[in-house]
Amino acid sequence: MFSKKTAEQLKFETRPNRVGAKYFYNNPKYRGWIYQTILLLFLAGFFYSIVSNTLANMSAQGIKSGFSFLDSSAGFDVLMSLLPFQTTDSYSKIFLIGILNTILVSVIGIIFSTILGFIFGIAYFSRNWLIKKIAVIYVEIFRNIPVILQVIFWYSVFNTLPIARESINLGDAIYLNVTGLYLPKLVGESGSGFVYSAIVVAIVCVFMLKRWAKNRQALTGAQFPLGWASLGLLTCLPLLALLLSGMPFHFDYPALKGFNFKGGITVIPELISLAVALSVYTGAFIAEAVRAGIQSVPQGQTEAARSIGLKESKIMSLIIVPQAMRVITPMLNSEYQSLVKNTTIATAIGYPELFTVFAGSALNQVGQAVEIMFMTLAIYFVINMFISFVMNHFNKRSELSSR
Amino acid sequence: MKEFKPLPDLPAPISTTGPIGWLKNNLFSSALNILASILILAALIATLPGMIDWLFISANWSGTTQADCVKDGACWVFIRAWSQQIFYGSYPDSELWRVNLCLILLTGVIALSFTLPARIRNQISVPAFLVLPFVCVLFLDGSYIGLKQVTTNLWGGFSLNILLAAASIIIAFPFGFLWALGRRSDMPFARSVSVTCIEFFRGTPILALFFMGSVMLPLFFPAEVSVDKLLRVWIILILFMSAYMAEVFRSGFQAIPSGQYEAADSLGLGYWQKTLLIIFPQVIKVSMPNILATFVMVFKNTVFLLVIAVPEMLQVIMTALSNSNWLGGHAIEGYLFVGFIFWICCFSMSLLATSIEKKLDTSHKN
Repeated sequence: MFSKKTAEQLKFETRPNRVGAKYFYNNPKYRGWIYQTILLLFLAGFFYSIVSNTLANMSAQGIKSGFSFLDSSAGFDVLMSLLPFQTTDSYSKIFLIGILNTILVSVIGIIFSTILGFIFGIAYFSRNWLIKKIAVIYVEIFRNIPVILQVIFWYSVFNTLPIARESINLGDAIYLNVTGLYLPKLVGESGSGFVYSAIVVAIVCVFMLKRWAKNRQALTGAQFPLGWASLGLLTCLPLLALLLSGMPFHFDYPALKGFNFKGGITVIPELISLAVALSVYTGAFIAEAVRAGIQSVPQGQTEAARSIGLKESKIMSLIIVPQAMRVITPMLNSEYQSLVKNTTIATAIGYPELFTVFAGSALNQVGQAVEIMFMTLAIYFVINMFISFVMNHFNKRSELSSR
Repeated sequence: MKEFKPLPDLPAPISTTGPIGWLKNNLFSSALNILASILILAALIATLPGMIDWLFISANWSGTTQADCVKDGACWVFIRAWSQQIFYGSYPDSELWRVNLCLILLTGVIALSFTLPARIRNQISVPAFLVLPFVCVLFLDGSYIGLKQVTTNLWGGFSLNILLAAASIIIAFPFGFLWALGRRSDMPFARSVSVTCIEFFRGTPILALFFMGSVMLPLFFPAEVSVDKLLRVWIILILFMSAYMAEVFRSGFQAIPSGQYEAADSLGLGYWQKTLLIIFPQVIKVSMPNILATFVMVFKNTVFLLVIAVPEMLQVIMTALSNSNWLGGHAIEGYLFVGFIFWICCFSMSLLATSIEKKLDTSHKN
């Protein structure tokens, strides 16, 4: 019944054609077509000249075209790879490793920036003057310094750490030195699958418990201590499985062999610097978004919550934050997307993410700029579209409760 | 009859006013707050004196070479010795006045747009802004106006960051405005072209764009035309900023009440008259805070140019760090200095944006 057209469009369509106009180009409808034809011609000419110039230049410089280079051997090493890699592997493998490294640093960055952002965003409303000022100082300092400078700064701070033999030692398990951070690695033996399945079962149980408790509260009004119950489930079930299966795990500790540490998990300094810089920088923006979101909730909501006798600690989590999320989620969406785009600054310190290894090293060797840039950009678009999809889903859920 | 005389007011209890009351309310209001305050104060006492000592008290301020850095603190001599390169890049000594002139012109045009009476402000400051980048290019290059030519590989330093950011956002204004108009127009083809442009340039990492500018743009031009590297960077920055400005203007358009469009229609104004005379001035006004935020963003993004070896401020510092006379780790000083300069500029601009926003905000929230 109701048209989805905007008022502007309706007005445009219902406006009388200026039949009395002296010339046909005084009719807005025809004029629109004339403008668009000119635009189309211009674009066609533009793209024609670009394509023909590019083809001519590429043949003159002897650059091949097409995607056949993906199968040939890369011949260079990457600093860090989540997959087994040899220098004889193909460019498509390099592409995949780059994507995985980009996703790894994006996920780390998104998790830590969200934590930092929410801590400092909420700290802004603390009644403690010092905490409030620290939140303000954090936001104002890190948001106003270029992120590429921050990553280079953290990297150079990392370079001042001691050498391997004088590493900072935490309980003979964690070592930190100029070549990276060394963590013990949890290795599962036979029978560890039993413990993993216990963890999965515990998570499923928590979800079912949550639904049951929600239904019960809706029916009877009685509340269920969900937090403690799920904490108990999540710890007890895997622990029980661990005892029953006879501890099928051991730690692989890093140990100093020769000039450096062997064994365990190695986190390279490039990854740490990049993750720290991205989390701190984006965290400042998220803190600002959280602050704006909380401020957008009218004061009356707090007063109403107090007047029905809610505890101060429950007011924030049950009344203010859920409403603030409507303002925060769209901003989080764009901050996460810009974090993913900012992972490209890794190229300044050499962390081997997609842009550095593929649009950097591979492009240098192959020279097929058009194909390589196209593939690289496509990946960033896909990742950002995925983030946008997930965040819009969250946004819909928080919007449903609005009027 | 005895006149009623009230007793003089008692002063408020000492524990609720003055410094003691303030401390009690703001630092020690509850057990948790007391703990937090003590922890933070302890952390500050542990770190601040050392930092202040390193930064200022035992820092080396005077001298010209690395040998003058004898004390333990920061070696600010490094910044001092390289200050001309940090600000002007390798621009020749005798021609520095041209860079200064451009910066003065930029400041002058900005000041003009704030001080002119509203009646003639747009008619004068809009053309002045649009002409400014080209005047600056003429002066900085010099060869077209009979001065000694200074090739673009010599331009650099912090002045390049400022001028490049300003020149990009100025030229991005009309483009962004056109794209924003295209996005809300009724012409389907024009709308889809605008949306594609905006989404492409907003969705692509700026570094990838710079990289495309340095490896792909040369392929797009005929072989006999060689386009200057800085010009390519400028084109890329303009396109990137246009996309962001288009979104700024779009939200500006949405903030204009539809009565303004209807009033303009009922006066019989044509599309361009309506857009330029009625809508544009109001859009600029409500978008001012966002425009400033976008400028801060492009200003910070100019540092990314070091990846393609354009000698902007941080690139100059990194070159200086690898200079054989200055080996031995002044990296922290250099980066802190660059960070401080950028922080001052960006923070003051965001303060300005906030104050404009407050001035414009006439709603009665809460």
